[in-house]
Amino acid sequence: MSNAVEFERVSRHFGETRAVDSVSMQVEEGHFFAMLGPSGSGKTTCLRLISGFERPESGHVKIFGQNSEAVPPNRRPVNTVFQDYALFPHLTVRDNVAYGLMVKGADKSTRHRQADEMLELVKLTGFGSRKPGMLSGGQRQRVALARALVNKPRVLLLDEPLGALDLKLREQMQEELKSIQNQLGITFIYVTHDQGEALSMADRVAVFNEGKIVQEATPREIYERPRTHFVANFVGSSNVLSPTLSVQSGGPSRWMSLRPEAIRLCDPSNSKLKGTLQNIRYLGASNRLSIRFGEEELSVSLPSTEVAPEKGVQVGLTWEEGATHVMDEDH
Amino acid sequence: MHSERAPLGLKIAAFLGLAFLHLPILLIFVYAFTTEDKTYQWPPPGFTLKWLEVTWNRPDVWEALSLSLQVASISTCIALILGTLAAAAVSRTMFLGKEAITLLVILPIALPGIITGIALRSAFNLADISFSTLTIVLGHATFCIVVVYNNSVARFRRISASMLEASADLGANGFQTFRHILLPNIATALLAGGMLAFALSFDEVIVTTFTAGQQQTLPIWMLEELVRPRQRPVTNVVAMVVVIVTFFPILGAYYLTRGGTDISGSGK
Repeated sequence: MSNAVEFERVSRHFGETRAVDSVSMQVEEGHFFAMLGPSGSGKTTCLRLISGFERPESGHVKIFGQNSEAVPPNRRPVNTVFQDYALFPHLTVRDNVAYGLMVKGADKSTRHRQADEMLELVKLTGFGSRKPGMLSGGQRQRVALARALVNKPRVLLLDEPLGALDLKLREQMQEELKSIQNQLGITFIYVTHDQGEALSMADRVAVFNEGKIVQEATPREIYERPRTHFVANFVGSSNVLSPTLSVQSGGPSRWMSLRPEAIRLCDPSNSKLKGTLQNIRYLGASNRLSIRFGEEELSVSLPSTEVAPEKGVQVGLTWEEGATHVMDEDH
Repeated sequence: MHSERAPLGLKIAAFLGLAFLHLPILLIFVYAFTTEDKTYQWPPPGFTLKWLEVTWNRPDVWEALSLSLQVASISTCIALILGTLAAAAVSRTMFLGKEAITLLVILPIALPGIITGIALRSAFNLADISFSTLTIVLGHATFCIVVVYNNSVARFRRISASMLEASADLGANGFQTFRHILLPNIATALLAGGMLAFALSFDEVIVTTFTAGQQQTLPIWMLEELVRPRQRPVTNVVAMVVVIVTFFPILGAYYLTRGGTDISGSGK
């Protein structure tokens, strides 16, 4: 498999801000690649470096092996689904979708046929003659998707495409996006700050912080073996054990990650750690217990079927060997 | 306590205010049909349509009218191009001294016309440019640009940057983006600005006085006629035409900008 997009030590600074700071990454062709990070972490700037709306100050952005610096946005084999959709308000939905074909000089019947095919793909058959202003947020999102796909891009860039949708619609669109990607087999590069979205959809996830990639791996690896403190905190709700606590539990004097569902309650006498049950939150399928150890706190996920102890009692915690994972220091 | 209906006193005051503004204009219309041609005598001794014919046959009226139309059209065209470019630069890009430029662009309309007039006149003199239709056009363009600029800068601000990026992203070059995305979204603002600019130029007196040579635009011609009465009602007939010619573009501009509020601003 070849690389669709490749960053070679790419930097983009805005004045004092290092929006993208010497980022290197490879996106394999046909992959669903998620760029995950808090706002201002550089992921959207990376996307704009691929679409061509930003130029790198140093390093190279390669698209299918070609240096892209000299190629303007309108001649790159990539298309973007914008965060605010950026639909053209004065054009009908069909003309919005057909826009890419129109500027390439396709004749009217071809344009309409292909636009209608795309609208069918995103389940908006029959909406062609409406104006974007008459559509709901979810429908606009689909139009933006169809409009970007009509050009048959080899890479589709998506900038927080589901950010403005409500939860139910978002989950539905996640599935649809994934199935469209499978169907078309093109590379998706997906920017999001929602770790659930990134983990459930992507083949590879790059976690961004302060303009750098902190970890780039499969979703499972990111979740189970976060490389740093930041990743553990940002992706999911992994516990972070300080070196002190780690030593107490019989581990090395290093920062460790430990997933809440890997911890079991046991008799304090033969436990790895003893702490006070601080709080219990009912989450439906499970209970989330906060257990306090002096300054630190660990959360434990307990199936609702198990009876949880009373608040304030001392509990013992244990886990399988290998459930903990040694992390690097941040920076 | 607020009541739905305005008190009677307020209504009368509002009515009187409007009457004070508009009755004199009606008076001009009435005098266009009077039989008396030396003084403005009230009530008019009789009514006639002969002044329409007299006006029609006066070559000086036609000359002034055609010059005015020419000047207004050319200044409007210049203003449409330069005003739109200035608006695009100010609203779409960041550059050093942007605030200063913004102020300088709108200054000519805040400045008294007489200052603009004197300044231009001495500048033309200094540059040894003889006064002609061209100098009148340049004078008018200074304030026409502002009108077009003000109209389109507001519209430019409402066009999201990502819409233009989306166009480029989909493969459009700069000209295609302008033609298919930008122009349709600013067209009504340009039309409104252009109409206002045309109307302003058409009845401008002060700047014209300073920048014209021997030529007479319509308003200048009217001023001369008032001082040197000769077939006085002819002036009134012309005044009536001027009111009609300037009223409709302004009305049009009003409706266009009012209806144009929902043109852009989808997204988010």
